[in-house]
Amino acid sequence: MKFIKFIDSVKSFLGLENFEKSTKEKSIKKLLEKLKAKKKIATDSLKTNHNEKEMALLQEELEIISKQIKKGKKLLKLLKSE
Amino acid sequence: MLKKIFLPTILVFLAYGFWISPDFKEISAGVAIFLFGMLSLEEGFKVFSGGTLEKILKKSTNKLYKSIGFGAVVTSIMQSSSLVSVLTISFLGAGLIGLSQGIGIIFGANIGTTTGAWLVAGLGLKVKISAYAMPMLVFGVILIFQKSKSVKGIGYILTGLGFLFLGIHYMKDGFEAFKSTIDLSSFAVSGFKGLIIYAGIGVFATVVMQSSHATLVLIITALSVGQITYENALALAIGANVGTTITAIIGSMSSNIDGKRLAAAHLIFNSVTGFIAILFIHQLIVVVDFTSNVIGIANDDYSLKLAVFHTIFNLIGVLVMIPFVDKLVIFLENTIKTKDLKKKDSYDSVRYFNESALAFPETSLVAIVKESKHLYENAFEIIAHGLNLKKSNIVSSMNIDDVIKEEYSNEIVDIDECYNRKIKGIYGEIIDFSTKAQSKMPPYYIEELYKLKHANRDIVEAVKDTKHLQKNLIKYSASSNSYIKKEYDFIKAGLAELLRNINIIATTDEEDVLLLVLSKSKVHIEKYDLIANGKLDELIRNNLVSNEMATSLMNDSAYAYDISKNLISMAETIFVDARSDMKELKQDMKISEDEIDSLLNKRKDL
Repeated sequence: MKFIKFIDSVKSFLGLENFEKSTKEKSIKKLLEKLKAKKKIATDSLKTNHNEKEMALLQEELEIISKQIKKGKKLLKLLKSE
Repeated sequence: MLKKIFLPTILVFLAYGFWISPDFKEISAGVAIFLFGMLSLEEGFKVFSGGTLEKILKKSTNKLYKSIGFGAVVTSIMQSSSLVSVLTISFLGAGLIGLSQGIGIIFGANIGTTTGAWLVAGLGLKVKISAYAMPMLVFGVILIFQKSKSVKGIGYILTGLGFLFLGIHYMKDGFEAFKSTIDLSSFAVSGFKGLIIYAGIGVFATVVMQSSHATLVLIITALSVGQITYENALALAIGANVGTTITAIIGSMSSNIDGKRLAAAHLIFNSVTGFIAILFIHQLIVVVDFTSNVIGIANDDYSLKLAVFHTIFNLIGVLVMIPFVDKLVIFLENTIKTKDLKKKDSYDSVRYFNESALAFPETSLVAIVKESKHLYENAFEIIAHGLNLKKSNIVSSMNIDDVIKEEYSNEIVDIDECYNRKIKGIYGEIIDFSTKAQSKMPPYYIEELYKLKHANRDIVEAVKDTKHLQKNLIKYSASSNSYIKKEYDFIKAGLAELLRNINIIATTDEEDVLLLVLSKSKVHIEKYDLIANGKLDELIRNNLVSNEMATSLMNDSAYAYDISKNLISMAETIFVDARSDMKELKQDMKISEDEIDSLLNKRKDL
């Protein structure tokens, strides 16, 4: 038996494939939490800030965070459906 | 001079020995076959060390107890503490592990190597091992001729074991016959003097054979046929333990400073252990006798008792040295230093490349990543100073508008000269090292290597583009035309912000910060597209800048765009992709080109 095949069979025997999946799920959940916290901070700053340049930057940051949250949620859904 | 005459002297001595004694010939042939077996074993393990072994090493050495355990287990499997120490030096040279972890592995290797004595004493001399050697050699050689690398590797391991067993068989036969001709025990010297002499012989024999295993086999076989006394055998085993450090010392010659420190640690550890063993030899003999009784070894079974002694004295050595690991590291760092650092203004050279790092694909890649970071450090300095910005301000939390106001120098920095001193040599070395590494790499690693080479090219391009940008940037930053000054300040601020973001990417452990900064940097690049965003058009249409200024601005915006694009691409490779946890996350969550476009369009619509 080839070495890599042997490793794969050991991994499947120990259920390590699912372990990888659940680790990935956990890291995405953690990331989503952090992004949501960042989004809240950016939204609050946007409400209190009146400097036009800074507001534009905050707006841009907010949009990027929103896109990443959307991506993260989609990825999480995909992982759960697998 | 000594080097030149050493080999011929040894050869003449051996030839003379073969001529006068056929038994000596048989023993020497046994040693030679044994050593050849070790070479074959090493070759076999190399096949399996393309990735798995390195990954295991990385995870198994983050704590001292883990590294000791790792060293012990791997040495027990590989049956060569020398191979493990040379391997450890190569990992250390590549910066994959620290010096204290390396020392831990060496400690463990000294425990692991004692299994060899058990194997030889317990199995090697009681079973007719040559009976196993022949089938192993036949199967091994057949497997070596197979196409599959893994099968080939198993073939080398089997052949190696076959030769090891065959070597032991010949040595044993040689000593059996030798017994009737010469009685080595007549040379025995009693007391402390005898211990020192035989320990010295043990050191010498191991240095010559480059294998403590081979010496141990010689000792056990000589002991089993009564050629030497038990006490002499113990002293020889102590000497063999000190002599085995020669392989690590030779291995460290081509390594970096940490490799040399590790070899020194190995020598210190084994010498201290040997010294303790010689000093307390009588107490140790009592302990060995007691242990042997407990585990049921016969009183006259000196071969197995030697194995017990070997294990106990190495264990004691490790236990005595563990509390001093940190002090040993400090001592080595203070005594073995890098040559005087070159003067600030002299030519910079590579820090992480050495021959031992080339031994494995992963160590080569780690060394290249580290050297690429070194190259970027230099490039960062050149770009910052080329733009007349202070490095310390860029990496601080200072407002970017203030960063560009504070100038680095009144004089223009000669980027060409800086490039020659701090980039060219290192870049050349990286390419040279990568080419050498590539020839030894399986295809899986080559793609990664290609990306790293590309990242280094990006760094070089960014420095070159900064040179093109510098002239006008300095000129128009001081221009009386406020419109062109504003545009060049914008370029300068954008690049300062980019350098700051790359510094954040390089240093943060927070995935969210990394992703956000990376995405923001990508979005910000697009602001240099003056034609697309209509800025240039506006400046020309309203006669706010001259034609010459407009052309310069258009070209220089393109340079700023290229610098940013190259540096972001480089940062993704050497700061993000080099971290396996971040790489996957970045791939899953990165903002696409279309999304960047939609963000920019949204901004335009506002």
